[in-house]
Amino acid sequence: MPRIWIVALGFVIAGLGGLGAYFLPVFQAAVNSTSANDGLPNLNPISAPTEPFTILLLGSDDDSKFVPDRLNTQSMILVRVDPGAKQATMLSIPRDLWVQIPNQGWGKISWAYQERGAEGAVAAVQSNFGVHVDDYVWIGLNGLVKLIDKLGGVNVQVTNPVLDDFYPSDLNSGGNPYDYYRVAVLPGATHMDGVHALQYVRSRHGDSRGDFARSERQQQLLLAIKSAASRVNVADLPTLASAFNGEIKTSVGLDKMRALMSIANDFSGPNVHRIVLVPPYTSEGWAAGQSVVFPDWSQIRPLVQKTFA
Amino acid sequence: MRWAVAGCLLLAMFVFGIGVYHTVGYLKGDRNVVHRPNEVSAPPLAGTMYVVQAGAIYRFHHGSFTQITPEAGWTQPSAGPGDQLFAVRRQSNYADLYLLSSRGTTVAQLTHNFTPGAAESSHWSFYPRLSPDGSTLFYDYDPKNSYNNYQVDLAIFASPSNPGARGSVQWTNPNDLTGGDVNPVPMRSGALIYTKYSIDDSYRVHSQIWIQRRAGSAGQALTAPEVGCGQPALSPDEKMLAMVCTKGSSQSADLDVATLDATSFALGSPATLVGGQLLASPVFSPDGKSIAYLAPSTPGGQFQLWTVGSSGPASVRNITTDLGLDSTSAPVWVGG
Repeated sequence: MPRIWIVALGFVIAGLGGLGAYFLPVFQAAVNSTSANDGLPNLNPISAPTEPFTILLLGSDDDSKFVPDRLNTQSMILVRVDPGAKQATMLSIPRDLWVQIPNQGWGKISWAYQERGAEGAVAAVQSNFGVHVDDYVWIGLNGLVKLIDKLGGVNVQVTNPVLDDFYPSDLNSGGNPYDYYRVAVLPGATHMDGVHALQYVRSRHGDSRGDFARSERQQQLLLAIKSAASRVNVADLPTLASAFNGEIKTSVGLDKMRALMSIANDFSGPNVHRIVLVPPYTSEGWAAGQSVVFPDWSQIRPLVQKTFA
Repeated sequence: MRWAVAGCLLLAMFVFGIGVYHTVGYLKGDRNVVHRPNEVSAPPLAGTMYVVQAGAIYRFHHGSFTQITPEAGWTQPSAGPGDQLFAVRRQSNYADLYLLSSRGTTVAQLTHNFTPGAAESSHWSFYPRLSPDGSTLFYDYDPKNSYNNYQVDLAIFASPSNPGARGSVQWTNPNDLTGGDVNPVPMRSGALIYTKYSIDDSYRVHSQIWIQRRAGSAGQALTAPEVGCGQPALSPDEKMLAMVCTKGSSQSADLDVATLDATSFALGSPATLVGGQLLASPVFSPDGKSIAYLAPSTPGGQFQLWTVGSSGPASVRNITTDLGLDSTSAPVWVGG
């Protein structure tokens, strides 16, 4: 073999070594991924979903005020995606909705997660709303902050000034989790990191709509996260997934996630319908000595049947 | 000699391998790198502009940026007397107004909103704006409701612009628990344009351009609730009003302009100069012929500086591409 070929071969091997060194952590992360049933991601072309499906999104305050395996859900959003019709619907379920929880009795729907985790929350939603839930995604406070920061931040149209003099100072593990600080999110289009996005969707004291305002803003943030996630390379998903270390739990595997990302750009603007169960779908009242939200099922179920059946 | 050549070739191969590693990393990685403004150059604009990034104020002149304050919570500069600037310094739990020299040094601290102890005892001040005659400084402030300490709504106040003078007047009465009134724009006639928020019986939030002739008066809406307009900017001759209107969208907005009769306060039919994108904080050029605004240059990207002329979309110019400008700080655009 002429020497020049030997030298060229040496450079090719060095180049392949450089490529291998870069991609090795990705494959290692895939093998060690927290999603139990996936292992190595399929890097071949994926088939996009064609049938409608429903995902329940759950969010919990998981700071040190709470026992880790006894968390409530502060946020529940039912998302219906119809790939064929290119339509999506987000329905926010009030955390204080007073319902019959399977195997628990009457209570706020946010309690359903306490006893049986995501399975309990899914069961409560399925039995009360009469829908089938295909998958769930649960996220904690730090998980949401980390997710948004990993995406490089999100762009949000802040609808009105969000001012809260009693915003919980519970994000970091140190310090008093019952402490609080002042938040002022100014109106208009803005780029937010994870901490500021969390302030926007979590604050509730300074708005006459209370928890309903949070629900609206949470739906808005979901759309912003979807938009930011469109910049993520699907090959980076294993690395991204492994970075959360249990701060995100989901029944959606990596391959399914890739499939969902392939259709995400089909859903934006007018073909995403947003529903918040404000009055007359609900009314505020008292039950078992607590402030709760009563559902008017005669109005809610036809709405759900229309959009989620 | 032969061993030396072989050694050099092996070293070159090793360096090549490292180069491939870094090239792949660059090509696959997030290339939306955010630079400090003083690290980049940009097409020059007439006059001088001030923008904010990461808590620092930058002067933009002849196509280059100069940092005039440290990254220390500075935001929302506005034109002050002479070549001075008013600005907000935002810290944990409170924000104060300052008068700065054109080089960013503090001339005077105008408010003292920090109160030791409970966090809720402190106050915010935002959006300083000097009246055209230079006598009055308008700004946002959060008066507290002694009956409901959860209620924190911004109201627009006015104080003498002379740092040595005292006294303030509450100009606007915000709707309860809406976040309040923001973006004061004082006019030569003494009237005030601003953004007012309301929440209807269906729990929908509306923003409207509002005008008041004097402090405490009821005022009148210049735009309809359903159009969702805010962030008003007035042309130097006060004949044109620019505003950001969401028109029911939560993910995009239009930059609209309309004629304004400064006597009757009648607003003409708005025309859309830039449509269907996240944009913020418009401001007229000193000659009134173009408008600067902030918007991402890529979907989900950070906010950049743009300009648009009166001819609309065809005249849009992307001035910066890799900054992360503070979109809640309208650029200050002055002559000279």
